[in-house]
Amino acid sequence: MDRAFQRTKILNNHLLQSSPSSPIQSPPLSSNACLNYSPPELSEFFAFDVEEMRRIIDWHHMELRDHLFGMISRSKLFNPRVRGGKVFVSPDFNQPMEQQREITSKRIDYLFERGVFKGWLTEEGEEVELRKFASFEALAIFDHSLGIMLAVHFFLWGGAVQVFGTKQHHEKWLKDTETNVVKGCFAMTELGHGSNVRGVETVATYDSNTGEFVINTPCESAQKFWIGGATNHATHAIVLSQLNINGTNQGVHAFIVQIRDANGKVCPNIRTADNGRKIGLNGVDNGRIWFDNVRVPRENLLNSVADVSPDGKYLSSIKDPDQRFAAFLAPLTIGRVSIATSAVYLSKVGLTIAIRYALTRRAFSLKPNEPEVLLLDYPSHQRRLLPLLAKTYAMSFASKYLKMLYVKRTPQSYKTIHVFSSSFKATFTWNNLHILQECREACGGQGLSSENHVGQMKAEYDVQSTFEGDNNILMQQVSKALLAEYVAAKKRKKAFKGLGLEHMNEPSPVIPSQLTSTTLHSSQFQMDALCLRERDLLNRLAVEVSRHQAKGLSKEHAFNMSYQLAEDLSRAFTDRAIFQTFAEAEATLAAGPLKDVVGMLRSLYGLICLEDAAFLRYGYLSVDNGALVRREITKTCGEIRPHALALVSSFGIPDAFLSPIAFDWIDAHAWGSVQH
Amino acid sequence: MASSVSSQHDQVLVEEKSFARILTFNRPKQLNALSFQMISRLLELFLAYEDDPNVKLVILKGKGRSFCAGGDVAAVVHDIRAGGWKAGANFFMKEFTLNYLMATYSKPQVSILNGIVMGGGNGASMHGRFRVATENSLFAMPETALGLFPDVGASYFLSRLPGFFGEYLGLTGGRLDGVEMLACGLATHFVPSAKLPMLEAALCAVDSSDPATISSIIGKYSERPSLKEQSVYNRLDVIDRCFSQKTVEEILSALEREAVDRRDGWISTTIQTLKKASPTSLKISLRSIRVGRLQGVGPCLVREYRMVSHVMRGEFSKDFFEGCRAILLDKDKKPKWEPSKLELITDTTVDSYFSKVKDEDWEDLKLPARSKFNLPPYVIAKL
Repeated sequence: MDRAFQRTKILNNHLLQSSPSSPIQSPPLSSNACLNYSPPELSEFFAFDVEEMRRIIDWHHMELRDHLFGMISRSKLFNPRVRGGKVFVSPDFNQPMEQQREITSKRIDYLFERGVFKGWLTEEGEEVELRKFASFEALAIFDHSLGIMLAVHFFLWGGAVQVFGTKQHHEKWLKDTETNVVKGCFAMTELGHGSNVRGVETVATYDSNTGEFVINTPCESAQKFWIGGATNHATHAIVLSQLNINGTNQGVHAFIVQIRDANGKVCPNIRTADNGRKIGLNGVDNGRIWFDNVRVPRENLLNSVADVSPDGKYLSSIKDPDQRFAAFLAPLTIGRVSIATSAVYLSKVGLTIAIRYALTRRAFSLKPNEPEVLLLDYPSHQRRLLPLLAKTYAMSFASKYLKMLYVKRTPQSYKTIHVFSSSFKATFTWNNLHILQECREACGGQGLSSENHVGQMKAEYDVQSTFEGDNNILMQQVSKALLAEYVAAKKRKKAFKGLGLEHMNEPSPVIPSQLTSTTLHSSQFQMDALCLRERDLLNRLAVEVSRHQAKGLSKEHAFNMSYQLAEDLSRAFTDRAIFQTFAEAEATLAAGPLKDVVGMLRSLYGLICLEDAAFLRYGYLSVDNGALVRREITKTCGEIRPHALALVSSFGIPDAFLSPIAFDWIDAHAWGSVQH
Repeated sequence: MASSVSSQHDQVLVEEKSFARILTFNRPKQLNALSFQMISRLLELFLAYEDDPNVKLVILKGKGRSFCAGGDVAAVVHDIRAGGWKAGANFFMKEFTLNYLMATYSKPQVSILNGIVMGGGNGASMHGRFRVATENSLFAMPETALGLFPDVGASYFLSRLPGFFGEYLGLTGGRLDGVEMLACGLATHFVPSAKLPMLEAALCAVDSSDPATISSIIGKYSERPSLKEQSVYNRLDVIDRCFSQKTVEEILSALEREAVDRRDGWISTTIQTLKKASPTSLKISLRSIRVGRLQGVGPCLVREYRMVSHVMRGEFSKDFFEGCRAILLDKDKKPKWEPSKLELITDTTVDSYFSKVKDEDWEDLKLPARSKFNLPPYVIAKL
């Protein structure tokens, strides 16, 4: 009997509530025994040491992360709920916005009381910086709102005081910030200006008679907008404002303005309003601020870059306004680094849930009376999830590179950090949203339930593609920086140095017309192919921009007109940069089962990069080779399938931070679990 | 009936009552300390019962005033002196395998904790589905005073107690009575000892492995007595504030800060207890509980086996042997710990207790396969 007919009959039986044994002659359909949840731990085999793998991808402050996880799982404030015999912690996203904000504040107080933030602003050095990243990554797994409230307080407010301020500011504010006596926010964006910070309309005018700055919101478009903490939480704000000295605009500068007193009452001449309910992140009280000629003492100008003397003279060690402005954006870099790295951890959560579910959920039998097939045993399901697993491993290695670049920064490495943090922030956050969406769909209807996290996290983390630099603009900055390197190298006839562009100095790699499977998987070939694409796109972009310029367009206009190539190039740069960190990590491992699995993941990541349309669009790969890439992806997914559980277990996300469908989802939904 | 399956001299007495099996620890003079022989016998019985459809329930109890006072550590030290550290490791391998089997057992285990239940005794009961405390119960995990750490899966069951109570019990070896055990969840029921014979008879009439059925039977004899006013469980807020700190040193200074704020005998006793315990033990115990909080019971036992092998091997510290000497053998109660101070023990040293033992003949604990059994949800949740 053909399958369609059989299926119709089953459906018919369902509808008519009749017994499956119908008078029609057909193979008897036995009623299925009840499904049992079979824990994947008992059937899947770990070919490598998952703790060792976690050490490689987490690589710092693992004990601290676990301590934070443990601390969260121990308190009622984190909303523990028992499902299927296990305790899960998660914010209650069904609560009204006001309650979400209130509980987020209480959670922050709890963490302060336990000394989690000791030294965050008063200690210096690599260790404390990495400690902050690790904590932020761990807390972000619980809730984005919690992470963002802390990021605003420590990275934006605290970071600005550290970077823009001088000794007097450090002494006055850092200790109080670290102990939560002062609650900071960062008032940069306005209703009329977001990415274009240099265009903000807030004005600070110096009054030499009183030695004060007068800060004013001159028009509605100048109201500060989206300011995290502004509605209820913050007592102080860093205000980015144009500085007006005797009628001359000296550009954007940062000022400290108290907006509330210790009792939470808004200060005179300040007005605040709520930004209202958002699609996610409702634990953060984003708000708006108007300044009605607020007077602050001269010392409240954060003066590391520029100062105003008591008699009103403008003094700056940096003469070039462009450089001065760049210095102001420095605190945003730590924000980008932490956004990029935390996004990877959300992908880890999503994939752990979706893959664990796919290892326990079955659908359809290949033959009648056979058990149904596990989702992850479908090649199509493997193809959906396992490349994303490889991508998440790739991002983990790239995160390590980015964090090291940041903590070992020097004044000379500022440009490199800017390019890599922009590229990785945009790419990781985009990847994360894509990964969460695929995981959501791979969990079927279960993915829609907010208790299962994956779907909810999409809304909570969507904002990552916008704040601390719009992703599209960040990627344009990457291409701009690459183009500038190119122009400079050609002009001075010097070799490329930095940003990983050294490969441009070598002869162009050649891709064989007939690729073999072995070649395709080799690290060297994959690297060559990625370099070839980057090199060619950079050449093309330079040609196109100069073509536009030759027609009389300005440099900026010419670049805007070449946006398609710029997009392709920034992706080419990013893929190559990420891949490089992956290949280097693989190379340092000792031979053994762990290295073998990392090699498979690296290979799969390389292959999915080669699937980018640019390889066919610009002819780097022939159509035949493109088809071979596709076949090899399927094959590699099959090879990684047996390691799927071990690979997600290596992420080290504690059970309590996953969700009921990642475990015994049958018991979690049993009648006994229903609130009668 | 009982005599048909075991003799008076057996260390574990076995009674078959319809669908129930009653196993009684029978070394009352040693407070039922678990010998290698007892562990082997329990393992054998539990394995056989799991395949036997005529067994639906296993009851564990102890003869005399103790349920089980722990592993027979004195014998382990003796074995190590005679046969090297691996003889000691072997004891724990067998014991932890039993603990895992109990934790993942497909049939309910009811442990009647009518007396002392310490160390290995907790390993033989806490992993089971039902733990019945009485007014005679006396709980402790006293390993840090002995140069060991809370093992037998304690990093799993202690870490899941409310707040940071598990850290408190594991580090200080604090003692609990039956009411406190019930309050914190170590016991599932409290039954006055006078009612135990009736409870036992009722359980022996059960023909089901359904936990709800068994729970309601025990429930019929249960009471919910209230905590004594001075109970440590009424100090959960102080315990949470102090024992949530990241390191042992920070826990101690948090306690000392509390002691400044108010005169409280309990706080100073707690500080004294911590100062008397092996510094190495304290550090590895805290780490073990913290890591265990995030692990399933299997990985907890595998890790504890690594740790206990390192302890037996004595590569980083010989505190275990010193502790046994001072507490169990010479009984001078004055162990000389080495390293003697918390600050002398680096994170790297602590890390090394969690690594594989570098020895050709040593292997990680191999957990028995459980996939062929239809495990109940309360077991699956522990994996």
